[in-house]
Amino acid sequence: MQSLVRKRYAAERRFKLFGLAAVGLSLLFLGFLLATMLAKGLGGIDWMFLTASDSTQPETAGVWGALKGSFLTIMVTMLLAFPVGVLSALYLEEFAPRNHWTDMIEVSINNLAAVPSIIFGLLGLAVFLNFMHLPRSAPLVGGLTLALMTMPVIVIAGRNAIKSVPPSIRDAALGVGASKMQVVFHHVLPLALPGVLTGTIIGMARALGETAPLLMIGMRAFIASPPQGITDPATVLPVQIFLWSDEVDRAFVEKTSAAIIVLLLFMLLMNGLAIYLRNRFERRW
Amino acid sequence: MSLTIALVAVAAIIAAAGFYAFRKASQMRSAAAGMPRRLNSLPVYHGSYVALWAALPALLFLAIWTPVQSRLVDQAVLATPAGQALPAFEMQRDAILAEARDLASGAISAGFNPESTALAPLYAAVSSHFATIGGAVAIVLALAGAFLAMRRVRIDFRARSGVERWIMLLLVGASLIAILTTLGIVLSLLFESLRFFNMVSPTEFLFGTTWSPQTALRADQAGSSGAFGSLPLFWGTAFIGAIIAMIVAIPLGLMSAIFLTQYAPAKARAWLKPILEILAGVPTVVYGYFAALTVAPMIRDLGLAIGISSASSESALAAGLVMGIMIIPFISSMADDSIAAVPQAMRDGSLALGATKSETIKRVVLPAALPGVVGGVLLAVSRAIGETMIVVMAAGLAANMTANPFASVTTVTVQIVQLLTGDQEFDSPKTLAAFALGLLLFVVTLILNIIALRVVRKYREAYE
Repeated sequence: MQSLVRKRYAAERRFKLFGLAAVGLSLLFLGFLLATMLAKGLGGIDWMFLTASDSTQPETAGVWGALKGSFLTIMVTMLLAFPVGVLSALYLEEFAPRNHWTDMIEVSINNLAAVPSIIFGLLGLAVFLNFMHLPRSAPLVGGLTLALMTMPVIVIAGRNAIKSVPPSIRDAALGVGASKMQVVFHHVLPLALPGVLTGTIIGMARALGETAPLLMIGMRAFIASPPQGITDPATVLPVQIFLWSDEVDRAFVEKTSAAIIVLLLFMLLMNGLAIYLRNRFERRW
Repeated sequence: MSLTIALVAVAAIIAAAGFYAFRKASQMRSAAAGMPRRLNSLPVYHGSYVALWAALPALLFLAIWTPVQSRLVDQAVLATPAGQALPAFEMQRDAILAEARDLASGAISAGFNPESTALAPLYAAVSSHFATIGGAVAIVLALAGAFLAMRRVRIDFRARSGVERWIMLLLVGASLIAILTTLGIVLSLLFESLRFFNMVSPTEFLFGTTWSPQTALRADQAGSSGAFGSLPLFWGTAFIGAIIAMIVAIPLGLMSAIFLTQYAPAKARAWLKPILEILAGVPTVVYGYFAALTVAPMIRDLGLAIGISSASSESALAAGLVMGIMIIPFISSMADDSIAAVPQAMRDGSLALGATKSETIKRVVLPAALPGVVGGVLLAVSRAIGETMIVVMAAGLAANMTANPFASVTTVTVQIVQLLTGDQEFDSPKTLAAFALGLLLFVVTLILNIIALRVVRKYREAYE
């Protein structure tokens, strides 16, 4: 009897250890990745690296062109995805009648959020480049493609944020005589905005790290000078990392790792900003 | 006149009309003072109403006119004698036209072809002609809209309702974009895939086992005949994404979730969970580079050490391992939600009967949370299947159907990237095959997502 109990307690300890090992292994891998990148790339980060554009010589290659391209692309993405996403979320949550069509819209938005990103690249290639003849490899096309990819994420985050605003706020506004539109824009939207912004920033962080759709729309070329506007050919930081990783010259390993460190820093900043906003401004009703 | 001038003029009309309506409405309000406020809507709504009626027809027209205009100008230039003299080869003619367009608009200062320098002034003249027409129509629309709307501004005019109708239109339009995107994806993929299936039969594509898309461009070029059997690709995708990655991710993800919810103290959980989420936030290109740089050589050395002499440095195991690690947070968070949703009463009952915590988890909590966990696993598989960068950088290009994890296999997403970033012209079956692969990928992930969400939703209802 005692031995049975002892065996069960031993099994309990093993199970707990297994769980701890699982968490530990995941963290270990993350640490291994970060340590490798830091070891290989930290020496490559200097002012020249951050302000020089790409070049065929690894000594003079820098990320400035890619940074500017990323910035322009994310600007276009945000300007397109944020209004459309928020307005869609408002309509679907507040005004749309609950019928078969709106159910289909909701299902299709949920599915869009889970579609692999390379499919959006194919869509961008077929529609924006071949049908609309927009300039290849431009931040405009990249931003359009990424906006289509990010919009469902913003819609879902927006709907959750709007759903969490209590009905008493809406009823109170209606009771004072506001119209439905005024309730939504003067009361619900400002209260839901922190949640929407958090979702948007997380979506933007995801878009910043995307490579596959931008490869499809042609950002694979070697761009030696930074883009001047949104219709100039450009590249973005993840694609630059991908291009450098293909290089045979071993000196590019340091550059690639350094660029990865820069990218990870940006990711950390954006996610940190989202978490800070969420903790500071989001209200638990 | 160019379209930008027309745009500025329209904007000026809108601003002037809106401001004028605002002034008029304010005057009406102050004139009606003394009596109880009879103005139905605030003056700002009157102003916005008139501004919207002036703006939207004109701007909509300009938005449609701009692409139409460039085609009209191209056609008109080609119809002139100078245009007729251009070479008949379409690509060269389009290149000259494009250069003439850039020269005329001032984007470049000198052209490559001599014909375009001669064509540029003609292009500029025709372009200006059409822009004047378009601009005039836009201005007329703006003025007409402003005038018709001004006539309605009265004391009892429901301006706010009018403005709100416009805003509702905007909201509906924004929602339609979401449907249009889905439709756009399906239609564009279908369209290009149908063109592909005209060249290669669907049965060969779906069930063939040789993937070798190099078609000879000319008769004397060495190259295989172009076999488009996609089974090796789907096998590679399933092997790396659904088998190896899941073997890594499911135990680690599930046990992490169990540990974090059941065993970890609250303070540890508060910072362990965000750190695990970081794994999900790292861009996949970083994972791919790390896999190619560090993990793949290690796996190859491991393979050589245990005696597999054919271990490749682009092994399925390297890619699958890193992909599994990337997927851990997805499984962990879905499992977390499902386990947390199991009623505490069930846990307490089991503990009261004398079971240890691990026995409770293994025999009571996990079976109850199983649908949610399964749904999470399906979603994770769908994510792994669609993953591109890790496999592009760490897996290979050789399409073979092998069960050896140290060998090199290729996946659907790698082939899509390969086919579309080469130098083929767009009509060849090689580039169209990418769209067919994309369509299949879309359908498979869609089915997986629908099944997963249905499973999760059914589960949620069981405990409501």
